Amino acid sequence: MMQLGISAFYHDSAACLVVDGEVIAAAEEERFTGIKHDDSFPVNAINFCLQEGRINLSKVKEVCWYEKPRKKEERVNNIFNKRPLRTLLLRYKAKKRFKKQNPFVILKNLGYKGRVKFIDHHRSHTNFAYYTSPYNKAAILTIDGVGEAETITISKGQGRNITKIYSVDFPHSLGMLYSTITSYLGFKPNEGEYKVMGLAPYGDPFKYLEKLYKVIDKSKSDLHLLQKYFTWEYSDKIMFNKRLCRLLELPPRLPEDTLTQEHKDLAASLQMLYEKEFLLLVKKAKGLTGSSNICIGGGCAYNGVANTLAYKYFDSVHIPFAPSDAGSAIGACLKKHTKVSPYLGPKFNNSEVKKILVQYKNRLQYFKLSEDKLINTVADILSKQKIVAWFQGRMEFGARALGNRSILASPRTPIMRERLNEVIKKREGFRPFAPSVPLDDAKLFFDIKEPIPYMTQVVKSKPSLIPSATHIDGTARVQTVTEQENPIYYKLLKEMKSFRNVPILLNTSFNLKDQTITINPKQAIDRFLSSKINFLVINNFLIKKI
Amino acid sequence: MVKKLREIIRKWQQEKVYQKKLRELKKRDPFTYKNF
Repeated sequence: MMQLGISAFYHDSAACLVVDGEVIAAAEEERFTGIKHDDSFPVNAINFCLQEGRINLSKVKEVCWYEKPRKKEERVNNIFNKRPLRTLLLRYKAKKRFKKQNPFVILKNLGYKGRVKFIDHHRSHTNFAYYTSPYNKAAILTIDGVGEAETITISKGQGRNITKIYSVDFPHSLGMLYSTITSYLGFKPNEGEYKVMGLAPYGDPFKYLEKLYKVIDKSKSDLHLLQKYFTWEYSDKIMFNKRLCRLLELPPRLPEDTLTQEHKDLAASLQMLYEKEFLLLVKKAKGLTGSSNICIGGGCAYNGVANTLAYKYFDSVHIPFAPSDAGSAIGACLKKHTKVSPYLGPKFNNSEVKKILVQYKNRLQYFKLSEDKLINTVADILSKQKIVAWFQGRMEFGARALGNRSILASPRTPIMRERLNEVIKKREGFRPFAPSVPLDDAKLFFDIKEPIPYMTQVVKSKPSLIPSATHIDGTARVQTVTEQENPIYYKLLKEMKSFRNVPILLNTSFNLKDQTITINPKQAIDRFLSSKINFLVINNFLIKKI
Repeated sequence: MVKKLREIIRKWQQEKVYQKKLRELKKRDPFTYKNF
């Protein structure tokens, strides 16, 4: 059966094609439009998926929509009913938007006549987290901003069955709280949370912790946020009010304001509060399910520092490669366990690449090398502290570049991090870079309990060996690589070992400031030419500027 | 008395800063998580 999974109109719109339970293709819309976190209907991603499956829309038996729009509209209206006058304009805007974003109408206009199945927002997260895991029995915890109404769920997975046991509803949302403080610190919500996580180790977590805890009503057994500090229920412009400023005794930061120690302290306190609340939920999940495995989904599952804490109660932790709404396009389709690789996007063969390279012959010099020669040469280049953009095979699905659309560098010199942050990525200097390591070497350098193939956990590392891939607190968001999952990247890492005895590469996504991850060779070349990246590799081609 | 007065002025000035920053933030692109 052909299924088309769609996630749209919230953030990170995406589509996937599933044939007889196997995920054939998937991509996020932002990669095609270049708009970060694009929330529009993913028409480009759908077209790509259909092309990849060599079918047209009429062959699709079932469209699986990642949430239930009516249920969501109901929640939104219930919120507006609390303040009918204040939300009059918002209600009008929301009604218009829900009408415009009706999946039935959009799909009908595209010529689709088949069935449309709507899956609960958190159930889509749950499905993606559990059905992509290796477990036959597990606790499943999902945490995000908000779906239809739920913000947190705990379910029990046994075989193919998933039973929801516990949930917390809007406006009591850990994700929204994290986003609120993210915006308080001058970073964009749903985008800047990574920055807050990166900033946290520079601050004193106890400085604002007590004050921050005042937004939580601790007399309640479940998470209960005091709404007097927030504007989530009546503003589409801002997330907090003056009461929160008074509580924190710190003015909100505008994006252009200097980052002060107070901001770092607030980030640290928020991260600590999140970790404590997260751990309570993990403990609850253990108590409710009794399982020794846990799957974590929802946008908050990108919080790698918190994720690692789950080992306090569970022996094994699984977090899928795209736990946020993008992955829900896949989760909405899944009904049973399926092995899904994160490499689900477009790929280009050598002759396609050559055709494009020829167009740039006045500006580029390129060499086609055998795989072994290519790996040996690139490892040599990297060991000489050069920066290489690495473009191979199918594009990754999810926020992380996992060695197919990556910028690579040696993590051995401390200045490499600053060079990459300031010269290449042009981003804040405090943000860390992640290391990739072959799974069989990982324990020599990182304190890992099990494979971490998708950079979803932050673990202790050995800073003296890899200073530019280790954060200020001695941790790293590591990616363990196996030969089965990414053979050429694995070989490159192993080759690094023969050059410098450290089989580790600093791996950051192949994009420059404010860009989405590179999708095709032309974009790769244009970005290479407009940056200070030293070499570009596309498939078997080693490319340098003239 | 002077101490109290100073405290009132400090709080008043602080309120003005909060107000200014909030007003400025509201003018920007929606600085919020889209929950509606």
